[in-house]
Amino acid sequence: MSHEPFESQAAAYALGALDGDERAQFEEHLARGCDACVAALRAFDETLADVARELPPTIPPAHVKATVMRRVAATPGRRLSSRRWRSLRWAIGTAAAVVGVSIFVAGFVASRYEARIGAMARETTAIRADLRAQEAALRDRLGVSRTVIALLRDPATRVITLRGPGPSPTTTARLLWHEREGGHLFIANLQPTPPGKAYELWTISAGQPRPAGVFTVDASGQASQPVAANPGPVDAWAVTLEPEGGVPAPTGPVVLASTK
Amino acid sequence: MAWAGAELIRRMADGDADACGVFYDRYARLAYPLIARIVRNPADAADVLQEVFWEAWQTAATYDPARGSPEAWIVMRARTRAIDRLRAIRRRGELFVAPVDEAVVVAPADGGRDASERAADRTAVAGVLDRLPDAQREVIELAYFGGLTQTEIAERLEQPLGTVKTRMRLGLERLRELMKTAP
Repeated sequence: MSHEPFESQAAAYALGALDGDERAQFEEHLARGCDACVAALRAFDETLADVARELPPTIPPAHVKATVMRRVAATPGRRLSSRRWRSLRWAIGTAAAVVGVSIFVAGFVASRYEARIGAMARETTAIRADLRAQEAALRDRLGVSRTVIALLRDPATRVITLRGPGPSPTTTARLLWHEREGGHLFIANLQPTPPGKAYELWTISAGQPRPAGVFTVDASGQASQPVAANPGPVDAWAVTLEPEGGVPAPTGPVVLASTK
Repeated sequence: MAWAGAELIRRMADGDADACGVFYDRYARLAYPLIARIVRNPADAADVLQEVFWEAWQTAATYDPARGSPEAWIVMRARTRAIDRLRAIRRRGELFVAPVDEAVVVAPADGGRDASERAADRTAVAGVLDRLPDAQREVIELAYFGGLTQTEIAERLEQPLGTVKTRMRLGLERLRELMKTAP
């Protein structure tokens, strides 16, 4: 195959941006011993190292070095024993590199893959665990969906909007409410609670607040919370910020309150 | 002293833990900003940094000074690892199903935050990349920091694949020239 189409691929290969087929073809081309491409690749790798050097400095977290050194200290000895063999291999490697460019190329390619294989194995395990967690989460959501659909099909269900009076004017909260069945509260854009705190929902009947559930919001400020039926008719709803475990009567600031 | 880094790696290959400490001190400063730029999340970045240097220790014997500088060696490892992590994070994101809550509660507009994030990126990468024409810099950043392939970049920018390829090659060649002439 002619050299022409490959010349332009060295840059993309160095950037890791060649798509599967093209990457395989380019590596095959390298393996056949193309000095020009190897030289280009080497120069581009150095250029990209220079680009990294120009990034604004960020101090690496101190604990990382401690961890690396601990692991390193736990694996001494094994290398020392093979010192002679290693030097021999070093010499052979150097000699071979002089003879042909193929070891060179194999190294180029291998160094791009060796790290990836280990990473992929770990990743597979992580993804499997992740899928299990997501399956559980989806089942939860499916349960919520079914409740919501059942509520919405019932003509006695009302949609109550809660709004933030002060600190959370952008928060939206809706409560699907059925006097007999209870309901479900959905919140978006509510600030996550400080440590040790949680939000508490209250039903207010004849001026008397009654606890209706403690909840927190996720990192994106969302919450989805089932609400049990109230013993009597509810006049109004409110959410306050309270200690983590919840309290029998509201003590903290009102974060959300139902509008008429 | 250009040989010093290569000598450190050779000593690491011989099992010299002190050399590993010196190597870390010298090259973590180079690898970490790149890792942090790619994966964003500081906890992930710290994790990747640790993997990179642990692997450098383990595979020090495979380093060949004729193939490139220690800087290029560690940077390529850092970048490969960081992109692996980034892809893993993205895959998790793709698998995640939009919560039912969004259908019920009006989702907040996200456009503003995205734009300011992009603006922050822009200042963060100030440096030699900013001396490239915008179109070339864009494709190089998407590949180098974003881990996208040429096809993915073409789709994302809605540009013909050939255009992306050309910009990438010209951009990197220009960078190489800029670096050669840099003081």
